Amino acid sequence: MSARRNPARDQVAIVGLGRSPYARDRQGCTPGSLVSEACVNALRDAGLGAADIDGICGSMVSAQWVQAALGIPGVAWFANPQAVIGNQITAAVAAVSSGMADTVLVYHHAYRLPWASRSAAKDPMRKRATLGVADARSWWGTGHNDTGPNSLYGAPAYAAWAGRYLHDYGYTRETLGLVAINSRTNAARNPNAVYTEPLTMEAYLAGRMVRDPLSVYDMDIPIDGADAFVITTTERARDLPRPSVLIHAATLGHTDYGSEEQLRDLDHAGQMVVVDRLWAKSELTLADVDVLYPYEGFSNIALSWIENVGYCGRGEGGAFVADHWVEAEQRIMIHGRIPVNTHGGSLSEGGTQGAGHLYEACLQLRGDAGPRQVDGAAVALVTPGGYYFNSQGILLRSDT
Amino acid sequence: MTDEELLDAFPGVRIDADNAAWHRGLLDHRLLVNRCDDCGRWHQPPRPLCPACWSRSITPTEVAGDGFVALVTALRQGAPQPGVDYADGGHALVAVELDEQPGLRLAGTVVGTPTAGIRVGDRVRALWRDIPGRLPRADFEIVAGADTAAGEGAGR
Ligand SMILES: [Zn+2]
Repeated sequence: MSARRNPARDQVAIVGLGRSPYARDRQGCTPGSLVSEACVNALRDAGLGAADIDGICGSMVSAQWVQAALGIPGVAWFANPQAVIGNQITAAVAAVSSGMADTVLVYHHAYRLPWASRSAAKDPMRKRATLGVADARSWWGTGHNDTGPNSLYGAPAYAAWAGRYLHDYGYTRETLGLVAINSRTNAARNPNAVYTEPLTMEAYLAGRMVRDPLSVYDMDIPIDGADAFVITTTERARDLPRPSVLIHAATLGHTDYGSEEQLRDLDHAGQMVVVDRLWAKSELTLADVDVLYPYEGFSNIALSWIENVGYCGRGEGGAFVADHWVEAEQRIMIHGRIPVNTHGGSLSEGGTQGAGHLYEACLQLRGDAGPRQVDGAAVALVTPGGYYFNSQGILLRSDT
Repeated sequence: MTDEELLDAFPGVRIDADNAAWHRGLLDHRLLVNRCDDCGRWHQPPRPLCPACWSRSITPTEVAGDGFVALVTALRQGAPQPGVDYADGGHALVAVELDEQPGLRLAGTVVGTPTAGIRVGDRVRALWRDIPGRLPRADFEIVAGADTAAGEGAGR
């Protein structure tokens, strides 16, 4: 493929990380309380105050809300793209590299809604959480009018495409199970993870089916939590206290007949657009990657990402994961060297639509990952999102 | 039927001028899919122009409802709805690829076959069931004895 211009390459950096810890049993929180906690922590981590921020870019909690809540005196640029996190990151990179803003606060939260979590359903203070909030059908414009049990709108289509993947390539649920077990094994060394007890294949296969072929173990864990990132120029980053994480390349990807049951097939999905564009914008290659973060909010998505970023051919992801499985460790180690979703991913750390993947990648590149730190991790590939609307790629490197 | 009557027939559904014909068709037990008058391509869901050639000359045109199962899943849980049973292997949810055009698909359920027995590639045809309390829509049933379409589906 031919190279593409990328004037932002390594010119924008992540200089602050902050989080509202993930939890499945938190009372008394709101999207705003989660986001504000993460944002304050990120600014403190970066050694910055409210007056240092001149751009805000988040997901569902409005930039205006965050500005007022944190008392940020002057903001020159803001945006609220829909989830997932690559939308915020690419917008912030564009803002910083173009000079629209110098230092941008980026955030995303997850909040357990009554119909997604049994414990949340018992909390009266969550009943009106979506009052006045449009659902994703209006953002995405898919034309879906029906969210009921005869519609493939949203999550059910991921299960249907998972089934199609297994059917077309002759895999069984054990293949998906390796993705789930890998996440659970890695989560054991992550204090932010909500599920840390070991998962065996036997237990995986006995998991309660939700939407065939996906069970409870194949689907991201509803949590309350938030992640925030402070983004500025690499030049400014070098004057700040924390190690810089450079954004080497970042892109989004979507296709025309791009959604749900109309997606042409898994060979013509947003992931292909992402990967073609990402590598064309990069001076790094797959061989440079030390830690890999394929989104696995549904387990099958991770197999597609592993294929599409270039480790193996289409349909070979299941076999590749099995070939690179370290039985003694109960996790994937690509070429014996590259761990996958070191934090436990959406399946075990908790579901934040890829923000947790990005956060962990930054921790690893800063050397701040504690007991799960990968020695010498210098390049991370983060691929949030699934097959449509939200396929994304972010290639990060440490500033060394 | 007036526009107001159409809205009343689909409470809670975001019906507008672009998708009204599709919903009118459902009330008449017809699948009216947008087809381009200029290039002949079909598209779904309804758009105000042809995505292939940008023509705005589009006619909602009846399709036969014959095709094959391109995607299938089983819903084991969900909100209660008339005619839906999440037990015993789950409620079948499929995408049917219509014979009129590769990749042109409709979502729906398959009736008359245990969910576990539905396979990608199975030949199906539309059937109409009026279920009290359910919005009008087409369902599908497997065509016994037909050759499956596995291998030619979804552009593969
Ligand atoms: Zn046309």
